[in-house]
Amino acid sequence: MVTFIKLAWRNLWRNRRRTLITILAIVFAVVLAVLMKAINMGSYELMIDRMVSFSTGYVQVQDYRFDDEPSLDNTFYYDESLRNRILDSDHRIAEAAPRIETFMLAANEVATRGTMVLGVNPGLEHQFNEIKNYVSEGTFFDIGQNTAVIGRGLANRLELSVGDTLALIGQGRFGMSASGLFEISGLIDHPVIDMNNSIVYLPLDAAQELLSAEGYVTSVVVMIANERHTNAVASAIRGNLNDDELVVYTWPELLPEILDLMEMDLAVPRLLTVVLYIVIGFGFFGTILTMTMERLREFGVLLSVGMKRRYLSVVLFVETVLISSIGVAAGIILSYLILILIDPITLTGDAAQAVVDLGYDPIIPMSFAADQFYTQGLFVFFIAMVVFLFPLLKIKNLNILEAARS
Amino acid sequence: MAIIKTQDLSKVYNPDTIPVHALRDVNISFEEGEFTAVRGPSGSGKTTLLNMLGGLDKPTGGSVWINGEDISAMKDSDRIDFRLKNIGFVFQHYNLIPVFTARENVSFIMLLQKRDKKEIQKRADELLDQVGLGERKDARPVQLSGGQQQRVAVARALASEPKFILADEPTANLDTKAAMNLLDIMERMNKEENVTFIFSTHDQRVIDRARRVVTMVDGAIHKDEVKEVTQAG
Repeated sequence: MVTFIKLAWRNLWRNRRRTLITILAIVFAVVLAVLMKAINMGSYELMIDRMVSFSTGYVQVQDYRFDDEPSLDNTFYYDESLRNRILDSDHRIAEAAPRIETFMLAANEVATRGTMVLGVNPGLEHQFNEIKNYVSEGTFFDIGQNTAVIGRGLANRLELSVGDTLALIGQGRFGMSASGLFEISGLIDHPVIDMNNSIVYLPLDAAQELLSAEGYVTSVVVMIANERHTNAVASAIRGNLNDDELVVYTWPELLPEILDLMEMDLAVPRLLTVVLYIVIGFGFFGTILTMTMERLREFGVLLSVGMKRRYLSVVLFVETVLISSIGVAAGIILSYLILILIDPITLTGDAAQAVVDLGYDPIIPMSFAADQFYTQGLFVFFIAMVVFLFPLLKIKNLNILEAARS
Repeated sequence: MAIIKTQDLSKVYNPDTIPVHALRDVNISFEEGEFTAVRGPSGSGKTTLLNMLGGLDKPTGGSVWINGEDISAMKDSDRIDFRLKNIGFVFQHYNLIPVFTARENVSFIMLLQKRDKKEIQKRADELLDQVGLGERKDARPVQLSGGQQQRVAVARALASEPKFILADEPTANLDTKAAMNLLDIMERMNKEENVTFIFSTHDQRVIDRARRVVTMVDGAIHKDEVKEVTQAG
């Protein structure tokens, strides 16, 4: 095998310029494909991270009825024992944060608005999404305090500010009436625009008391070290909880619309990548075609002296793999360096303002997800295998005498 | 004892359109240790005969027996394997692997035979020494003259320890000095190591050296002379 690899390697460099041009074409395709995907996925990763950390968590534990009927009647009891069972399920779990959420009416002296009330443990919540960093006025409450933090959008609508009193009216667990007055300790510029206009954060115990749900929560959101472990962690928690009343969801199950949106948006870059690879595939085919046709006599001689057809195919296979591997490896390294260099792209002017208005920083972050690199390798390898069919068929049907005379 | 024997060997090209009879019922045998030249004008069938003897082409009639095996009835893959173990080839255009050195070219056949690495190295060096290229073992074909390349080709043909070597116009592209040098080497191998050589040639220098000369005309054996017998007679 070493001899076949040596033969293949040297054959590649018989026409150095042609081989280099082919490799450069592959490098170009890989770099372009990776950059397109990294830019798209970078924005999506940021969006998903925001949505997931402020909304669903990567993994979420719920009562089994809550997804169909998100009501306080479908809460579940949360204590240290349950927390430990969740945390002990998998070593990749970084933290678990309990939440109780419901919709209530928020009112000032003259106006009323529908709000989303979220009872949270301030310390855990901050670990989860650094919520305290978004407080633009006042402070985020601590455990034991009986104050509220509200989105700046909601505060503007209700003309409330720090120190004012917020009245909350709604329904608690099992139809109990729920109403309370809370001093506003802080305003936050919430990065999720809908939440900015409607969110009211309360301390978990205060919210539970308000909603007659002491000890009960609507969800426990689970923080994990890496998004790609989502499914594995969810499975581990399911196994460890072993509770028919509780279900474990992953964020794609809870936010399918985001994935659908992403898929739709990625259709065009994907199509461009396919077109790019088809063009590169033809270039690659041209090289392999020439490399095969100009060596027919050599192949005929090798078969004459006793080299089996399958060994000859192996040599050509190795040549095809080598040329594509060099191109892919160089392409991946180059695209990685380019990504490091340009990450993040800073927007300016109207584009920047538009993004800021949506609650995002005026930057386009790059994604460094490993899969966007190795999928390019797989694409090129697939193309290489299709291209390799030509020399394979040529060798299979090669007439030794005709080849040796060519 | 005959190591090669043909029986009513025929080859017709284009049988369905304009048939060309390249070989017509050829019956010939070759003994071990022969140094034979097959001569004849262009189109007489000498190269076709060599191709048949080497299992590179299939006859349309008759058969070729080598050491008691009918190679014309073998499958393509079996014939490739048979060639590797039994037949050495020397071509007019040398046909060395251009990206391999002289030593690697000679070793390659033995690698295909899956021989021991040390043995391969030793034999390749010995063979290159025997053909007078001990100093050019690491040279690639492009760095060698035509005569030197053909000597590497002879070493390569000998590497597999074949039953016989088929040489198709081996001196056609060589100047007199290189041709004589090559013939000296092949003659020495024949005499000292009893290697059987069968040449297809126009070259009088080869014909003069051959101990048996087979003349072909229109795909048939026209004359078959064994010089030593003639001389003795």
